[in-house]
Amino acid sequence: MDVVVRAVGLARRFKMGNAFVDALRGVDLSIERGEFVALVGPSGSGKSTVLNLIGGLDRPTGGEVWIDGVELGATDERTLTRHRREHVGFVFQTFNLLPRLTAVENVALPLMFSGVPRRQRLDRARTLLESVGLGQRLTHRPGQLSGGEQQRVAIARALVGHPALLLADEPTGNLDTTTGAEIMALLRELNQERGLTLLVVTHDPEAASFADRIVKLRDGRVET
Amino acid sequence: MLRTSFGNLGRHPVRTVLSAIGVTVGILTIVTMVSLGVGVQKEILQQFQGAGLEKISVRPVTEEPSAYTAFAEPKRTVLITPELVEEMQAREDVVEVLPRVSVPWGATVYLQVGGGEFSVRVYVGDSTWGFNDPFTEFPRVLAGRELVEDSPGEVILSKDALETLGYDEQSDWEDVIGQEVHLVLKAPRGDSASFPLVVAGVQDTTYWGANIGVTDALALKSWWYNDPDILEHEGYDMLRIKAASINDAAQIVGELQEQGFEVESLRLLLDNINRAMVVLQTMLGSIGALALLVASIGIANTMIMSVYERTREIGILKAVGASPGDIRALFVAESALIGLVGGLAGTILGWLLGLGLNKLILAILRWQEVPVRGTFFAVTGWLVLLALAFATVVGLLSGLYPAARAARLDPIEALRYE
Repeated sequence: MDVVVRAVGLARRFKMGNAFVDALRGVDLSIERGEFVALVGPSGSGKSTVLNLIGGLDRPTGGEVWIDGVELGATDERTLTRHRREHVGFVFQTFNLLPRLTAVENVALPLMFSGVPRRQRLDRARTLLESVGLGQRLTHRPGQLSGGEQQRVAIARALVGHPALLLADEPTGNLDTTTGAEIMALLRELNQERGLTLLVVTHDPEAASFADRIVKLRDGRVET
Repeated sequence: MLRTSFGNLGRHPVRTVLSAIGVTVGILTIVTMVSLGVGVQKEILQQFQGAGLEKISVRPVTEEPSAYTAFAEPKRTVLITPELVEEMQAREDVVEVLPRVSVPWGATVYLQVGGGEFSVRVYVGDSTWGFNDPFTEFPRVLAGRELVEDSPGEVILSKDALETLGYDEQSDWEDVIGQEVHLVLKAPRGDSASFPLVVAGVQDTTYWGANIGVTDALALKSWWYNDPDILEHEGYDMLRIKAASINDAAQIVGELQEQGFEVESLRLLLDNINRAMVVLQTMLGSIGALALLVASIGIANTMIMSVYERTREIGILKAVGASPGDIRALFVAESALIGLVGGLAGTILGWLLGLGLNKLILAILRWQEVPVRGTFFAVTGWLVLLALAFATVVGLLSGLYPAARAARLDPIEALRYE
């Protein structure tokens, strides 16, 4: 089997003033290529921390995290940056679009850091926005879009660099139930049609039900 | 990247403009300073080149008067000897050497033409020699010719002197040419000496009545002091040297000054002006540098504010794959852009100010009837480029620290930042 993500004894300790807080106490997790995994658990269980470690936004304080054969904890900043740029796409609860940029510019943004020429960037962004059903909203700014539309833009942005892995942190958290379901359906579709590997953090059981597999996290450990 | 920077600056136009104004003031000062320096120096050099920078006047040195000698003729300590004249004439870097003798101060010289006699002022040597002073006009030749340098036995008379003696028409002046006239020296002791001279020309001047050569002047002086060897004892009264070039002139001036002579040269004046210009430039330059320093602090402050405000944005950029270098470049580019915009405004204002001041100075010169024209503030192409580059570098340097802070931000904390 082709394993995309493999975490072994993953630990993350945060320093809060003089005290230490263990967000993760040894998480073991494997995700195969093309799998759609939902990571659920109560708040404070370490869901987002797992996502950040896999996404290369953070480094573990213990254990290992392997993405496509590269152990992220031991790499330098440059490799980590390239990992974020080329191997993963992030979708956030609060969308995190740049308010001054239009939808198409937001989607094209990551390609700027890969050195893709402007015209090509915009072409690719346009295609992606059309594929998520926003062909009519290309030049709108985030403020002019609904929550669901903004999240679609964010998903398109996450896909623009052809990542193998899409990481979504509470993608439906700021959306109403219907829109949330639409977004989950879109992710499911991307998973099935493009073979995209998905790791979605959520505490919404309905959202989790779209996934192939549900991993439960509690107190920094995977619940079995 | 630049497009993004422009967009970011456009978000806070007032803040951007305020930060840029510091640079504008600094660059304005520097551009004004340099353009003044360039313009005036060029102008002065041009004027002075026309004025005869290669000409040098050398005078003998006289003893400081003491209580015993205060009312006597001062004694000369450093003489312009005929040997010095020969030495100068032999030099490769000297074009012309003209020794001068003045008619003794206090001696009255009478000009006798025909039966008439009239007291005149006697000028020795070529009357056109000297610094090309735009304020004086050289005498015109009305009849005959000008004095040939040291032509013993010849005299040029002025129209005024002749008119006093009744020769007031062009034909009279032409008739006088070739006639023998007399210059008569009358000493207070009662005796007098008459020096016969042939009229070689008539000129239109009010400054002198008769113009004679050095040899005749020496004869006059010798008789006056009753000293047949006056040249040996006193030397020449002045030496005029024309050097081959301005640089040669500077060299000769230095050598003669070392020998103790009193030397006059426009080159010395130019050196003084240059020194004054350097002082002025340093002063203005300091103001400009100070303004730029303050501006730089202002830009740094703006950029730090900007980093705080855009913390979340920086987090997003990092999450989508921006490297620390990308983030740094983004902020440095913005900062440099503030510098460039400020510098552009400063350069344009400096140029306009220069144009205005040029007009003003010319108006004042015209009003004061000073016959000097020209461009005093010159904003040249390289000055513009240099100013813009300098402003950009100032902006860039100011942005380095804020940009480094932005690049160092932790992406997760940045994303959490509200």
